[in-house]
Amino acid sequence: MNKEKSLKKSRSRVGTNIFLMIVAILVLVPLWYLLNNAFKTPQAMMLEPLIIRPQTFTFANIARAFKIMNYPKLLLNNVIILVISCSFLVVLGSFAGYAINISNNKAIKNLYIFIVLIMTLPFQLAMIPLVSMLKSMNLMDSFFGTSLVFTAWSLPFVIFLYTGYMKTIPKELLEASIVDGCGLFKTYVYIYMPLLKTITGTVLILRGVHIWNDLLIPLVTITKSSMSTLSLKLYSFASTRITAWDLVFGGTLLVVIPIMVLFLSLQKVFIQGIVAGAVKG
Amino acid sequence: MIKKTSKNTNIAMSRIGKIKKKKSILEKQRDRTAFVFLLPALILILVFFITPIILSLRFSFTNWDGISKEYNFIGLNNFKYVVNDACFGRILLNTLYLMIIYVPVLNILAIVIAALIVNVKNKIGNFYKSVLFFPNLLSMTVVGFIWKLMYDYNNGLINTVFRKLKLDFLVQDWIGAKNLVIPSVAASIIWFALGYFLIIYIAGMMSIPIQLYEAADVEGATRAQKFFNVTLPLLAPSITINVVLSTMGIIATFDLPFVLTGGGPGYLSETLALKVYHYAFTNFQQGPALALAVILGIIAILIAFLELKILLKREDIY
Repeated sequence: MNKEKSLKKSRSRVGTNIFLMIVAILVLVPLWYLLNNAFKTPQAMMLEPLIIRPQTFTFANIARAFKIMNYPKLLLNNVIILVISCSFLVVLGSFAGYAINISNNKAIKNLYIFIVLIMTLPFQLAMIPLVSMLKSMNLMDSFFGTSLVFTAWSLPFVIFLYTGYMKTIPKELLEASIVDGCGLFKTYVYIYMPLLKTITGTVLILRGVHIWNDLLIPLVTITKSSMSTLSLKLYSFASTRITAWDLVFGGTLLVVIPIMVLFLSLQKVFIQGIVAGAVKG
Repeated sequence: MIKKTSKNTNIAMSRIGKIKKKKSILEKQRDRTAFVFLLPALILILVFFITPIILSLRFSFTNWDGISKEYNFIGLNNFKYVVNDACFGRILLNTLYLMIIYVPVLNILAIVIAALIVNVKNKIGNFYKSVLFFPNLLSMTVVGFIWKLMYDYNNGLINTVFRKLKLDFLVQDWIGAKNLVIPSVAASIIWFALGYFLIIYIAGMMSIPIQLYEAADVEGATRAQKFFNVTLPLLAPSITINVVLSTMGIIATFDLPFVLTGGGPGYLSETLALKVYHYAFTNFQQGPALALAVILGIIAILIAFLELKILLKREDIY
């Protein structure tokens, strides 16, 4: 009886694994297709889209896309926007979370509820006046302006994450440090900041990836080609050359590479970060 | 004697009063500090989030052109224009159709795969998680182009495979045909988003007490019974979050459909989110764009509210 049961169990485990393996392969197919064709001559793409041979292997697509897209400049632009927005997000988000946790003030609690509620509003609702506001503030075509928009639209979610996480830090720590004569600011710096590493990692992963990849905000706030981000450039680059498959594949792969490298080296951190965010959410 | 006591009590009372006062001063100070800490975030949200939304609401009733300082109130004219636009019905239906395919398929797939991954060994489970999560890290622009290449009629992977297998009747114009374009868009977004929702479901399943499964085992429950009678009911909070999140996401999704089809062919895959952009930045019609943005916002809030109401009620049943 027992034997039969364990046999059944192991059989179902094999079935599960086979099913999951098929799902994993299906998910990988589009990525493999991109990788496989980015390194092929255009003729080979037409004749043999499914396989890659040493005779048709080439770096030419990548090299040409690299040059036409002005890739190093774009990468730098992306990094600048990412660094400014993420610094703002971490500092202001954790400040706000701290504020919500140290005070019993009703107005602050209500503000928190308000901030959580507006998370559901779509960016399109603010887009058009925002562009004219940015123009009048001289923040159009400025990395700083774009970063501020990213920050403002990510802050509700980030405040939500920080507030939730700080709730799990025992209030006694706060009381003790105040009794010991630490001010509220010092308590933040010496007690809370070191405890926030995990959630800061989650915030950086969740929002960082989003900011790095977003198309709509750069599309409406950046018009200068020299200030373009990777996503924005890929869009304008590839949509005008959709018949030039070699360049589109090459350009797309170039945009994927940084995040692929980062993910492969930090895989565990990524998944843990998402799980932490999911549990807090 | 009596006098002395009352004097003492008086002193004691005044001391208590002082302590109370002191405490309230401390609390006030704390509130003040809290406001200072909250202020920078609030200012940013107020300036770049709330103000433009309020302006959108206001300008949607005017003939503002997006640049000049002059404008007149024209009542509901923008809304009338948008609703009477020949393609409005199509766009609304497209948005709802996309949502009706995307939300259930994504969530059911994610729950089933999550339940299977939770059951396999840790190491191989992590491998599946990583693989399925990876597309979520790509930009939607990239995903759009990858799938544009996949769906291509002549050289795309899907049609090439079908031709190689001599299954020519399955060769389709995936993003060019009337009945296929929206499901195709939905499929590519599901490919992109699956990993994220999967991981939230896995986290939800991991938090279900193992004793419940053990009890079910003792009762001789099958795997399917455990799934339907233990996992699914206790997963209710995760389901609520994910359904609302995925609905909000799909209603406002811009990048991927914009790159993949741009709303075409014709208006066959144009959604509210795309149309707002097209009004504003392709046709330079700011008024209709604002009115449609407001309609989009209202629809998003209404659907989220409805879903929350239904799903929270369902959570209560269990």
